[in-house]
Amino acid sequence: MKTFIASVAAVLLLALPGAARAGTLTVKGSDTMVILGQRWAEELMKKNPHIKLQVTGGGSGVGLSALINGTTDIALSSRPMKDAEGEKLRTRFNTTGQEIAVARDGVTFYVHESNPVDALTQEQLKGIYLGDIANWKEVGGPDAPIVVYSRENSSGTYVFVKDNLLDGEDYTSSAQTLPGTAAVVNAVSKEKNGIGYGGAAYAKGIKEVKIKKGNEAIAPSAENIKSGKYPLARDLYFYLRNKPAGDAKAFIDFALSPEGQAVVTKVGYFPVK
Amino acid sequence: MRNLIAALLTLAPGAVLAQEAPPAPETPPAQEAPAEPDVDERVTTTEGKIASIEEQLAELMSAFSPLKKLKFSGYVQGRYQYELTREDGIGGFSRFAVRRGRLKATYTGDIVQFVLQIDAVPTGVTLRDAEATLFVPGTKQNMSVTLGQMKWPFGYEAVQSSSDREFPERTRVVRAFLPDERDRGVRYSGKLGVFRLSAGLFDGNGINYPGSVGVDNDKEKDVIGRAGFDLKWISGGISGWYGHTLGLGPTDAYRHAYERSRIGADLQLYLDFLPLGATALKGEYIRGKSYVSGGAEHFGRPASGWYALLVQNIGLSNAVAVRYDYFDPANGTPALTDPRDATRPASTNAIGTVGVTAIHYFGEHLKVSATYEHPMTATLAEARDPRDDLFTLQMQARF
Repeated sequence: MKTFIASVAAVLLLALPGAARAGTLTVKGSDTMVILGQRWAEELMKKNPHIKLQVTGGGSGVGLSALINGTTDIALSSRPMKDAEGEKLRTRFNTTGQEIAVARDGVTFYVHESNPVDALTQEQLKGIYLGDIANWKEVGGPDAPIVVYSRENSSGTYVFVKDNLLDGEDYTSSAQTLPGTAAVVNAVSKEKNGIGYGGAAYAKGIKEVKIKKGNEAIAPSAENIKSGKYPLARDLYFYLRNKPAGDAKAFIDFALSPEGQAVVTKVGYFPVK
Repeated sequence: MRNLIAALLTLAPGAVLAQEAPPAPETPPAQEAPAEPDVDERVTTTEGKIASIEEQLAELMSAFSPLKKLKFSGYVQGRYQYELTREDGIGGFSRFAVRRGRLKATYTGDIVQFVLQIDAVPTGVTLRDAEATLFVPGTKQNMSVTLGQMKWPFGYEAVQSSSDREFPERTRVVRAFLPDERDRGVRYSGKLGVFRLSAGLFDGNGINYPGSVGVDNDKEKDVIGRAGFDLKWISGGISGWYGHTLGLGPTDAYRHAYERSRIGADLQLYLDFLPLGATALKGEYIRGKSYVSGGAEHFGRPASGWYALLVQNIGLSNAVAVRYDYFDPANGTPALTDPRDATRPASTNAIGTVGVTAIHYFGEHLKVSATYEHPMTATLAEARDPRDDLFTLQMQARF
């Protein structure tokens, strides 16, 4: 028993440096949400200089992995946590985690502003992203090959489109993956035969494609996204390991406050409240 | 991009001109140099080069794309163990050991999964898992059929990875009924909402059956499965196993098919109410007939056992756990003394074990645990409970 007590003491001593670590609250994940997170952090730190926040991107998958590995306090995610990720979190920390919806968004498809195609059905978009439709003339556009832009597989938007539009099937191998929605928007704005996707807040300088449903073409507008009429509307989330406390709680409370939700609108997304 | 390149090329000569001009050399005028290509030509050339690089990059990405689906993982468990010396001189050790040295390759495609896992330890290298899986198309990988060598779909602890478990070894009851946790067979796995189902047909003998390692010794096949649910904060299931094992019992003249069966129930509860960290409470009960113990199969012998486990996380890097497990290796047989030595309990007596462990995580890839276990064997008359307490200090590195 003495040996055991000595060993436990040794293990706990080794643990002390970790326990003493404190200070900066780390927030990591979705590139779609990184600007929003940074704005929230800036506003909160202005009001509470004692709170230190570090907000970085990398993709929803990266943020959720960091949460599971214990290297971030809050994960930003533009998609719900997968079952497998939830299982890993439960295995390591014996917790089911905390999911908090902090904003709404609509995954938007962009084309070059000169492209005559204004609206596509979900089936057509699926066909394009699976590689079954490879020429714009097949969907009412010019006779030109479609240049498909996508995101990296660590992106929550990538997973959202794969799950909700492609029914879990793999993207066409000809899709060019780009490291962030801003990069997709930039590429589409320069490629007249291009198509890409991302968050609504990024849709600047290119044309947003409406989604055809029956005779109606639904635009990714604030009204349609908030009402859920736009088929690819989604929530944007914070994920935590345990119930929020301290600085993490202050950050979440601020994000959900009227002031924080005003930041959401300013950045280009839609409030949850 | 074109504008940026043009600007850079235009600025470049300017930057040179901005430096202090050296004195003009007193040399005769050189022969007229060929005309420099204008900015447009240089931009076009540069764009061509960039397009070429982009094409090569796309080719490279296409070539490496399948590798994204291939993942390697593994872990090593190095240990020091100390067991108290028993009065009868049996047991008692102080030793270092490599308990597990796993290396696993997993390739996951749209409808296919390949899994190969080996265990390399000082006594040799053995195959643990070799699975060929078909994901049922159109089910988003929620349903699958696997053929090969895999874990029995039974209960909770047997299926849980040893790298995730808080205690160094599985409980006595699980080790008895599900030795090495694996077998060759075919398995269906599916989930629908909160419901889980996993069932299959297996050889039934496991991977280290005495006298027939690697191949089945009879035509009997066992049906094994678990039906469960998962509401995240609470999960559980019931498991069943029915089959036969062919062997010579103590009174048999010829090989006889003995019933080999198990039933089980498991429950896991995850609570987040203490400020220091989350709490988990887990339990499992199994009873059955016919099992292997001490290198011999006990044909038709009924046995049962259960365990309860409490895990408390402390902050980000620490956890403590307490476990009690109970195993009765011969249901219906009262506690006896060893027929060869009246001071020792019989091998059919029930054993309860209480254990406590403290775990520290050094980041994502390393954890250290210190575990103390105190087994209590049922005794009768002058038979004494053996002093077989066990201390294990384990370091696990994984990737």
